[in-house]
Amino acid sequence: MASTAALVCRQLVKVFDGTRAVDGLDLTVERGTIFGLLGPNSSGKTTTIRTSLGIYKPDGGSVELLGSRDPLAVRQRTGYLPEERGLYAKMKLREQPAFLASIRGLALAESDRRASVWLDRVGLGARAASLTRELSKGMQQKVQFAAAVIHDPELVVLDEPFSGLDPVNSRLLKELILEQRARGTTVILSTHRMEEVEALCESICLLSHGHPVLNGRLRDIKAAYGRNTITVEYAGAAGRLDKIPGVQACDDSGRDARLRLESGADAQRVMRAIFDRVEVNSVRLDEPRIEDIYLEKVGSSRVAEASAAQEDV
Amino acid sequence: MNLTQIAKIARREYLARVRNRAFIVMTVLVPLFLGLYVFSVPLLSRSGSRNLRVAVIDGGTGLGQPLANRLRSIGRPSITVTDVVTVAANDTSSRDRFGAAVRARTLDGYLVVEPDVQSAPTARYVARESSNPTLIRELRLAVQSVALDKLLAGTGVDGNEVRKTQQLTLDSITLSDRGERPGGFQAAFASTMVLGMLLYIAVLINGQGMATAIVEEKSSRLIEVILGAVTATEFMTGKILGVLGSGLTQLAIWIAVSLVALLQASPALALGAAPGFDMSAILNVRLIFYFAVFFALGYLLYSILFAVVAVTCTSTEELGQTMMAAVLPMVVALMVALSVIANPATTMTRVLSLFPFFTPLVMLARVNVLMPPLWGVWLGVAIMIATSAAAGWAASKIFRYALLMTGKRPTLPELMRVVRAG
Repeated sequence: MASTAALVCRQLVKVFDGTRAVDGLDLTVERGTIFGLLGPNSSGKTTTIRTSLGIYKPDGGSVELLGSRDPLAVRQRTGYLPEERGLYAKMKLREQPAFLASIRGLALAESDRRASVWLDRVGLGARAASLTRELSKGMQQKVQFAAAVIHDPELVVLDEPFSGLDPVNSRLLKELILEQRARGTTVILSTHRMEEVEALCESICLLSHGHPVLNGRLRDIKAAYGRNTITVEYAGAAGRLDKIPGVQACDDSGRDARLRLESGADAQRVMRAIFDRVEVNSVRLDEPRIEDIYLEKVGSSRVAEASAAQEDV
Repeated sequence: MNLTQIAKIARREYLARVRNRAFIVMTVLVPLFLGLYVFSVPLLSRSGSRNLRVAVIDGGTGLGQPLANRLRSIGRPSITVTDVVTVAANDTSSRDRFGAAVRARTLDGYLVVEPDVQSAPTARYVARESSNPTLIRELRLAVQSVALDKLLAGTGVDGNEVRKTQQLTLDSITLSDRGERPGGFQAAFASTMVLGMLLYIAVLINGQGMATAIVEEKSSRLIEVILGAVTATEFMTGKILGVLGSGLTQLAIWIAVSLVALLQASPALALGAAPGFDMSAILNVRLIFYFAVFFALGYLLYSILFAVVAVTCTSTEELGQTMMAAVLPMVVALMVALSVIANPATTMTRVLSLFPFFTPLVMLARVNVLMPPLWGVWLGVAIMIATSAAAGWAASKIFRYALLMTGKRPTLPELMRVVRAG
């Protein structure tokens, strides 16, 4: 029976050279939401995306994209911004989104018209006749985003859309993503930037070695952890906050610190102990941030490895 | 396979090819250069019409003075005889003197005639430029002529009559099922060379352009976006059709130009060509028709080959190295085609002309020199079409397998397994 969800993966398996890149993944992305696909490098995110979009054939399980068992049958209703990306170096800027729009099913004239509109929207209208190789990386990235959504897809997959963008362009991109959701588009966002996940995503799936280790609504996941995190801003000398009884882990920068409580610890008592040790500017008891949950689930060593790999890119 | 999708891929590829500067330049320049080549072959041998200063040394044959007179009467190149000396057999002083003059460039060369006890006199021409075939032929004829006169002196035989029989010419006429036409090695060689080069250059430029585009799409990961919208087979088919379209555009331009030349300028062309060099051997409708057929088929087959080579490469550097594998059969085919001109009817030629990677050039050379039976020509065409279809089928499997590969190149056994597995 066809689901009403935008994407449903059931027991999805994809094997490369004997390695199970995706290993029995169950995943549901509701329509009209922004969904975060998270996980360290080589955890199977890109493979999940490619298999979901029909670029790879699954080795086991099934994919249902926009209600269709054959992802390629609905390819004109999906958009994709891959992580590693490029454009034709010798093609004029305006022709690139126009070409990609046309293979997504738009008529040639309409493709041209929308390409002009989108270049204006991302602030590159004046460069429409430039060759791509004359543009900066950030400019190219905006064009690529435009190419992913130019045909008004029902579902768009954005793999690391923020990498390499300056704060101004990041803000612009965030607005454009929210605008997509406002017009009813389902957005699957794969990213390492946890603050963007926090700000944009309703639901997430955290992958590790091809398995989901967290899966569900962000609000529910956080609520399951409870208010177990104390954030402190302080002045003066550091005061060994990690030695306070009831504190399981402490991330202390010297000006502010985040303390995770042991389960069953008395938060009020811990806060009083903080006041005893440092000169407090502010203190707050909160649910954990998604970054904390990520670190706990995936393990800090894997994260360090992942972020090092990320810097290489 | 979705035809609309294929058309869109083909359209982009076609536009990228024909807008390419190399395409525009080559479409104009190639016929220009090849035209120059065809006309310069006869023209080159007629050059060197400046006046030559030549001395004659007679080593005791008595031919010195008549030879000098004979040389003066040669019109092209015109010769001024500066000295005629008669010397003893072992006297080298004149040679040294003239040799020094040649080195000093006050003399262009000197001609030595010496008696030979066993046969006719021997002659030797010593010069800085001693390889002009026209001059050497004229000198030889002059020595021959005066030696003949001397031999016939007193016999009552007219030297001019003997010379006439010596100058008898032999025309070569190509007789085929369609009738007779004048032909010759030179004309067939030039026209095969020209047509071969046109095909070679068109395939090389456009095929290489497409191959580079495929590698670009792979290495920039554009291919992921494209494959989200079209299948690998649609992508490949579109690419090949696009590049085929660009090749046919080029062909149409060239054919239009040559037809105009054929209709408008043929009298002028005939005037410009050397005697015995028949322009109609190069520009005739039948040859242009077969050229178009073999061009299209050869172009298609080689485009598929280029596409497969490209899809297995992950960078343009790799492509440059591997491209040789795709270009090599065409170079060999051109060499075979040129050798076919001398031996158009051997079994080896027949066999080679049916080998699909050689057919376009070798069969064309056969059509050009000695029209093979029609069934033979169309058998070659059928084999090429069948090979292209099979190659396209195998290529689409390789595309599906290799398009998303990065970093590692697939090996040949791997690719063969992929094709066999279906």
